[in-house]
Amino acid sequence: MKASDKNTAPEKVLTKKDITKLGWRSSLLQASFNYERMQSGGFLLAQMGCLKKIYKDDKKGLSEAMTDNLEFINTHPNLVGFLMGLLISLEEAKENRSTIKGLKVALFAPLAGIGDAIFWFTLLPIVAGITASMAMSGSILGPLLFFAVYLTIFILRLAWTHAGYNLGLKAVDTLREYSGIISKVATILGVTVIGGLIASYVHISLLPEIVINSSKTVSIQKDFLDKIFPNILPFGYTLLMYFFLRKKKMSPVVLIAATFGLAILLSFLGIL
Amino acid sequence: MAITLAQGIALAIMAIIVGVDFWLEALFIFRPIIVCTLTGIILGNVPLGLMAGGLTELAFAGLTPAGGTQPPNPVLAGVMTTVIAYTTGKDPATAIGLALPFSFLMQYIILFYYSSFSLFMKRADKYAEEADGKSLLKLNILTTGIVAVSYGIVVFLCAYVAQDAMQALVKAMPEWLTHGFEIAGGILPAVGFGMLLKVMLKGEFVPYLIIGFVIASFIPFSNLLPVAVVGMAMALIVFNSERNKRKTAFVTGVASNVEGDDGNEGI
Repeated sequence: MKASDKNTAPEKVLTKKDITKLGWRSSLLQASFNYERMQSGGFLLAQMGCLKKIYKDDKKGLSEAMTDNLEFINTHPNLVGFLMGLLISLEEAKENRSTIKGLKVALFAPLAGIGDAIFWFTLLPIVAGITASMAMSGSILGPLLFFAVYLTIFILRLAWTHAGYNLGLKAVDTLREYSGIISKVATILGVTVIGGLIASYVHISLLPEIVINSSKTVSIQKDFLDKIFPNILPFGYTLLMYFFLRKKKMSPVVLIAATFGLAILLSFLGIL
Repeated sequence: MAITLAQGIALAIMAIIVGVDFWLEALFIFRPIIVCTLTGIILGNVPLGLMAGGLTELAFAGLTPAGGTQPPNPVLAGVMTTVIAYTTGKDPATAIGLALPFSFLMQYIILFYYSSFSLFMKRADKYAEEADGKSLLKLNILTTGIVAVSYGIVVFLCAYVAQDAMQALVKAMPEWLTHGFEIAGGILPAVGFGMLLKVMLKGEFVPYLIIGFVIASFIPFSNLLPVAVVGMAMALIVFNSERNKRKTAFVTGVASNVEGDDGNEGI
């Protein structure tokens, strides 16, 4: 159906409240996650309320919209509200089905990339690093602060959804223009923090000491390695893991098992 | 100390709630720092829960489901690390290692659901064709419900039913073996950070990794905020220069090409 076929512009049927509801429901994205279509079942379910309101008695229109939204999608749960808001504004305007579908396909992957870069690779290491150290010193503030941060992020889903709906088509160009820079900048922040995390939270310390005479021993860790560069073993081991994961495409499960095997062997030999 | 039936049931209910949260990735109460604290509260030993939470959270920092890969399950890691430390009296750092098999078990159960839930999609297609929203809702409730029940059962079995066997096993371990587990718990974050770097580290980002590492190695502080602030500063520098570059590229692009299309590789 083309917009030019109509004499009047389609009326606005969705209220602010509907969009807020859409934002809450966007949390159902992964309700029926599976390898064939990934998040499509939940993606459609979250939008059903709005779609029903838009298509009312037009069963054919609703069926087409549902079928389109059930196609493969894999994006970021925290940001998907933006995409849903945007697509629903187009559904409401009775845009071309292929336009809506095209936009969805064009946007879900960049959104996933931005979301992973920000939420998993930048925010989580920072928040976890800070709150975990608080928790380990016995403060209940650690988990509480962690929860507060993620509750805020959760509620922000409503804001993304409204932003998507309000910006409509205008937003798309901006998002695509900046998605590269945003990912890059988030990666810089994330990689810096990971450098700090390696130094703070990977612990490898050698036990052996070299006996020089009865009054003097040299600890390989304290008197030798730490003098060259502190935390050099944690850094080296992390890079080794990186090498195996990236270049040798090894599974993390294998590396975890190998790490355990190695730790137990070296413990048995008295080296660690 | 032993886990009572009431505690076992409470743990199962907690696992159902945080397990569904992990399935949906909504509130992030599935992270070990929260799960361990809640487990500690249920078992009546909050300090133990906090200690286990901090340690397990860091060990799992890099093991994320980003990009659709399923990591070792953080819910089971959190519950079992705390439970094992509580029932056997072992150090939480040692318990992380002993909890890992349970974490893998749940990971594989979830992977099985990822595959088998594909079978539901044919039905979903039919509902879409018939514009049947109600059945679509039921289908989503069914899948999420299966996951929820699985979490409840697995945690109840692992934490309550199997606790005596677990205790006997741990007691039979020699000192070098439990010490080995403790050491492994300290090295384990390296695998997680390696996972993060696998996705993030391209050649151009290596300097930032080195800067973060060196700062944290030589400036003593209690948390990572200073490193994050330095990272933020560097990120801003790059953001500004990239934006300026893009503006220049756009101007050059328009000057050389009246159509002014994408302006990619502008200069």
